[in-house]
Amino acid sequence: MKLKEINRTALQAWSPAQQHPIYLAAGTSAQQLDATFSTSASLEIFELDLADPTLAMKSCGSVSSPHRYHKLVWGPHGIEDQSLPSGVLIAGGENGDIILYDASKIIAGDSEVIIAQSEKHTGPVRALDVNSFQTNLVASGGNESEIYIWDLNSFSSPMTPGPKTQPLEDISCVAWNRQVQHILASASPSGKASVWDLRKNDLIIKVSDHSNRMHCSGLAWNPEVATQLVLASEDDRMPVIQMWDLRFATSPLKVLESHTRGVLAIAWSEADPELLLSCGKDNRILCWNPNTAEVLYELPTSTQWCFDIQWCPRNPAVLSAAAFDGHISIYSIMGGSNDHATTLQAEQLSSSFGNIDPFGTGKMLPPLQLPQTAPSQSTVTPLKKPPKWIRRPVGASFAFGGKLVTLDNIKPAAQQPQQTAAHVVHISQVVTETDFLDRSNRLQATLTAGNFLEYCQNKTEAAQSEFEKTVWSFLKVNFEEDARGKYLELLGYKKEELALKITSALEQNCKSDEADVVEKKSPVEEEAEAPATETSDLDEVPFEDEEPVVEETSNTEVTPAPSSDAIKLKVSQDIDGLITQALLIGDYEAAVNLCLHDNRMADSIILAIAGGPELLAKTQKKYFTKTQSKISKLISAVVMKDCLDILETCDLQNWKEALAAVMTYAKPEEFSSLCGLLGSRLEAAEDAALQAQACLCYICAGTVEQLVAYWAKAQDSSSPLALQELVEKVVVLQRAVLRAQGGVSDMGALLAEKMNQYASLLASQGSLQTAISYLPTNTQQVSVQQLRDRLSRALGQQQQQPGAAGTGTLPAAVPVQTYTQPQPPQVPAQPAAPPQYYQQGRSATTVTSWSNQTPTALPSVSRPLVPAADPQVESTAPAFGLQSPVSASVPASTPFMYSQQYQRPQNGWNDPPTLNRAHKKKKIPENFTPPAPITAPIMAPLGDPQGPAGQTMQTLQSQQQGPDQPVGPATFSPIQQQPLGPPGRNPNMPQGNMEGAPGAPIGDLIKPLQSIPTEKITKKPIPEEHMVLKTTFEGLIQKCLAAASDPQTKRKLDDAHKRLEYLYDKLREQTLSPAIVGGLHNMARSIECRCYTDGLNIHTHIVSSSNFSETSAFMPVLKVVLTQANKLGV
Amino acid sequence: MSKLLKTVSVINTVDTSHEDMIHDAQMDYYGTRLATCSSDRSVKIFDVKNGGQILVADLRGHEGPVWQVAWAHPMYGNILASCSYDRKVIIWKEENGTWDKMYEYTGHDSSVNSVCWGPYDFGLFLACGSSDGAISVLTCSGDGHWDIKKINNAHTIGCNAVSWAPAVVPGSLIEQPTGQKPNYIKRFVSGGCDNLVKLWKEEDGQWKEDQKLEAHSDWVRDVGWAPSIGLPTSTIASCSRDGRVFIWTCDDPAGNTWTAKLLHKFNDAVWHVSWSITGKILAVSGGDNKVTLWKESVDGQWACISDVNKGQGAVTSITDSQQNEQ
Repeated sequence: MKLKEINRTALQAWSPAQQHPIYLAAGTSAQQLDATFSTSASLEIFELDLADPTLAMKSCGSVSSPHRYHKLVWGPHGIEDQSLPSGVLIAGGENGDIILYDASKIIAGDSEVIIAQSEKHTGPVRALDVNSFQTNLVASGGNESEIYIWDLNSFSSPMTPGPKTQPLEDISCVAWNRQVQHILASASPSGKASVWDLRKNDLIIKVSDHSNRMHCSGLAWNPEVATQLVLASEDDRMPVIQMWDLRFATSPLKVLESHTRGVLAIAWSEADPELLLSCGKDNRILCWNPNTAEVLYELPTSTQWCFDIQWCPRNPAVLSAAAFDGHISIYSIMGGSNDHATTLQAEQLSSSFGNIDPFGTGKMLPPLQLPQTAPSQSTVTPLKKPPKWIRRPVGASFAFGGKLVTLDNIKPAAQQPQQTAAHVVHISQVVTETDFLDRSNRLQATLTAGNFLEYCQNKTEAAQSEFEKTVWSFLKVNFEEDARGKYLELLGYKKEELALKITSALEQNCKSDEADVVEKKSPVEEEAEAPATETSDLDEVPFEDEEPVVEETSNTEVTPAPSSDAIKLKVSQDIDGLITQALLIGDYEAAVNLCLHDNRMADSIILAIAGGPELLAKTQKKYFTKTQSKISKLISAVVMKDCLDILETCDLQNWKEALAAVMTYAKPEEFSSLCGLLGSRLEAAEDAALQAQACLCYICAGTVEQLVAYWAKAQDSSSPLALQELVEKVVVLQRAVLRAQGGVSDMGALLAEKMNQYASLLASQGSLQTAISYLPTNTQQVSVQQLRDRLSRALGQQQQQPGAAGTGTLPAAVPVQTYTQPQPPQVPAQPAAPPQYYQQGRSATTVTSWSNQTPTALPSVSRPLVPAADPQVESTAPAFGLQSPVSASVPASTPFMYSQQYQRPQNGWNDPPTLNRAHKKKKIPENFTPPAPITAPIMAPLGDPQGPAGQTMQTLQSQQQGPDQPVGPATFSPIQQQPLGPPGRNPNMPQGNMEGAPGAPIGDLIKPLQSIPTEKITKKPIPEEHMVLKTTFEGLIQKCLAAASDPQTKRKLDDAHKRLEYLYDKLREQTLSPAIVGGLHNMARSIECRCYTDGLNIHTHIVSSSNFSETSAFMPVLKVVLTQANKLGV
Repeated sequence: MSKLLKTVSVINTVDTSHEDMIHDAQMDYYGTRLATCSSDRSVKIFDVKNGGQILVADLRGHEGPVWQVAWAHPMYGNILASCSYDRKVIIWKEENGTWDKMYEYTGHDSSVNSVCWGPYDFGLFLACGSSDGAISVLTCSGDGHWDIKKINNAHTIGCNAVSWAPAVVPGSLIEQPTGQKPNYIKRFVSGGCDNLVKLWKEEDGQWKEDQKLEAHSDWVRDVGWAPSIGLPTSTIASCSRDGRVFIWTCDDPAGNTWTAKLLHKFNDAVWHVSWSITGKILAVSGGDNKVTLWKESVDGQWACISDVNKGQGAVTSITDSQQNEQ
């Protein structure tokens, strides 16, 4: 297609390949005149701006010239060393002159643009060529066999390639060989071509076909094959291009015949040696493959002779052609639409033609002599053969799992061209994070071996910072005996050491007491302060029982003490008297109050003890409100058995002490929440050092999610090693929690997110198997589900159904076909693989190495009411059967669809799309129950299932106890979904729902759960109203078994039989949502009436509208059974 | 040297038996199937699970060299798009184990050089860049029809590459609750023979030129929009015949200010760039038949982390796979 147009009758030269942007120089041609007969000349430079959609070319500079030109070339000399930043323009003039212009100066508008000039040639200089190896060498040809070689560095004295050829004739073309730099060819209108060797300084071969009809207008060397050149003939009697190979220089190798009149110019593409342009007096511009002599392309444009044609050296698809009609046109060889360009061209022609007429006549000349051809078609077919420059030879693309796919088009060695090229693709594993992988492997090994103590020890020793060391020490404690004691040691409290300290402190105290009793003001304060001089005030106390304190208090009591000899019962009106009176009448409370009032703390406590526990408690409370010493809080906490207050109010600088107090005094069931609370407080602190300590608290608490949340906030975990660091801690802590509690800890949203990141990082390094083992199993997060699916498919873990891979029958395809019959023949979004194929893969992948290694201890914990847990199910279920055509026509591409499909991943992309499903619903048989009754889970059984039901029941039970019972059903049981977001820890209600802290002694709360193995839980009977389900399904399996012939099917059915036990379990526990149960009953009814396709249909609906985890254990099985039943026609 | 071999090791070599130059090879979403296309006009699909190579399909339908193949996301089934010098785009689909033409697009006037599927979250749609300078966006409307939007004269003399912006909006580290997806504007990047990198976005159902990125001094051969890694930066790589590879980044949420950083200036033309799935590594394929891997360091500099020397890779592959088997 035409790209640009310049209104000039001129010779043209493209800027060299090195030059950017691309320029085109146009010099007034000496051979053409227009109606003005003006002989003034100019040299003008235009810029090729392809970003500009118009046909106009921007003129960048021009110089007027006394000479008109016969030849114009643009060489790169000087670009490299920037002496001539845009290279040199070399012009051949009428009178034997060669002029060198500095192109950059023309562009800059400089007036001194001529570098050098020579008039050495006789006659016009029609031939010029720049050596492509030594760009300072230029060959020129004039009349009388004159050929000169010019060195642009010393322009004044040219060389000759050898003695002049005889007879003397004009030189029409010169060309340097493209492969061998010292070889030059020249040609003359007589049709003879000569090849010169500059090293020998002589003519080495003459090329001529002796027809005497060749009239050489063009000469070009093959850019790739050193011995080949083409000659073009201007003679109308012989309008051909001859291809010669100097190895057989007796006759042309190929003759390119298609022009009907003489060829005026040729140009051989440097970018693709299979493209040769020619233009002729027949107005055609052809593009040849010179090797096959085939015309690949004809430019659809020309209405005039073109006398010059040039490939753009830099942009290989671009060429320019100068025509006698006064235009230089620039084309793309790649075809394309001309629509916009032609309209623009028309506008431009009408508006501005006169202004840019170089000759200033203002008149538009009629076409030279030829009639206008019909306007060309707007679209232009491209080259028959793709040009080399769009044939991509290389390519490396990444794929999932850190794989890199690279092309290798191995070329046959030059010596053995007969050997065919091999075309192979390499698939490589790219591993960039070796350190990360090393550590990941180490962690993996630890997880397998279970030697966490050693692992933590190593981590502690290798820790880079003190803080890291502490964190790992804390983690390690989780795997040791007496975790709390160890924690305390880590916090700096060793019982033995402390005991020693206290003993010495007491001795000192006693002495000092004796010495300066008088000085004491407040005995309680004194008591508190004395030990504080040694260490921090909290340090001492926690490990002491209350007794010493109390004892000392009484010992050092300095209030006017009652005399030791005898009790004097004073009944006076002073305080003592009142107390005595109160005591005498047995009113302990009053006495205590009096004592308190009088600040006789010890008295009051002693009296309170006598007064009974109630009074004691009251007194304690009053005491604590009255005394405000530093440690009173602690004492209060200890005495009242309530650490909460301390934790909530303590100075965070004393977090260690607070944590130690929790270690010592907290009840097992509140331990975790208290640690967590302290952690949250620390995390909220402004001091960064304190914030960091929060994670220690979380480790003690065993709250993985909080630890992750803190870590994610405080540390950058985006780098692989940082993420590894986090995961190491989290995984170890998780294991600790597991150890302590024995249950599967839920993964919160944030942790799941991090684990997802970790898994995808592992995947990117090729560790797919490891990656999948870290993915949380119990999350509904879309990204996690997607990654799991991707990983398991990449590992080839999905269970291949027969036929799913592409051969044989597709069981699931049968119903699909049935239901798409009334549809337009094809629904494009419809997946190829049968739904069950996908789902099986899903269920299989939930068996990760984690859940395998860790028996799930809480499989029988009943789920919360399903509708409450998953409102989505509830909201969509009623739509079943009532789905309006409107919603059915929602295109699969809308975001709405997306969210639906990914909310419930069982409705995966291999399932029939909703669109399809919605249509199917119309065909649901009359006996299908609309959704309203489903809200009641009790369905009236159809038919009379009693007899056979009992029987199947028995068979089933006997099978249950058989050795074939599937191991680890817990893997398939839905795990309670944790609400998204970090769970808020409410310290006021720590019971039950808290995770057991690793450090907490295993309390009564946990033990029973651990000790009861799953198998021993006695199964409840299936509710009577649901027995029909079991009977129907079992009956169907039996029927299928009877009908099935091949062992594979039988095996499948047997397996299905066993796996349906999960369904029955759920029925027993009544944990299925009413919608699902209702659907199952509908399925059962379809089975009763042998409408298996309807059954499958209902099946699809249930799967699509229910929670994946709820149904994944049995729905695929049902599908298998139904499909088989349908296939076997039972 | 040992370090280099450690970084990239050939684990499988697939002899495609193509009769002419291979131009593209792409793995599917799971990395278990390989699609290749060649100047011999065919597209082949291989099952390459576990280091094997099983020819699954040999797709004939193009009448010229096939330049690129692209896998659609599997949620739409097994779908592959191919584009060719014959001006056609063919969308192939596997139904019941056999591959067939699903759709053939003939709306271009010249070689179609690049095809790229858009983010699956927003439907099944494909961008095609052609030597006729136009870019087409084909969208499957769900009833078997394809809606076509064409950008004429996107790149004068030809568009060489197209690549979609990821669906995840930069900066949204954590998945939005479903139903509240941020309003995604469809955007893609293209590179062409006008030396330009252009960004396009859809507004009111129309495609508009959003940005024009100028830095290359020759044809832009390939562009690659990096997968989002949750950071608030959009990243695009572009490579050119001028030997330069640029990394374009944009931190501004409106997507208006793009800055270019030169990754490297190669001695030869650069044909292809490919981001790793996690968007951290860039594979650069040059005309000298060399593949290099690049990674951004912490200080924002791009460093070559490996030369993938294919010949040597092939040699080591034998020992590597043997070691794996043992």
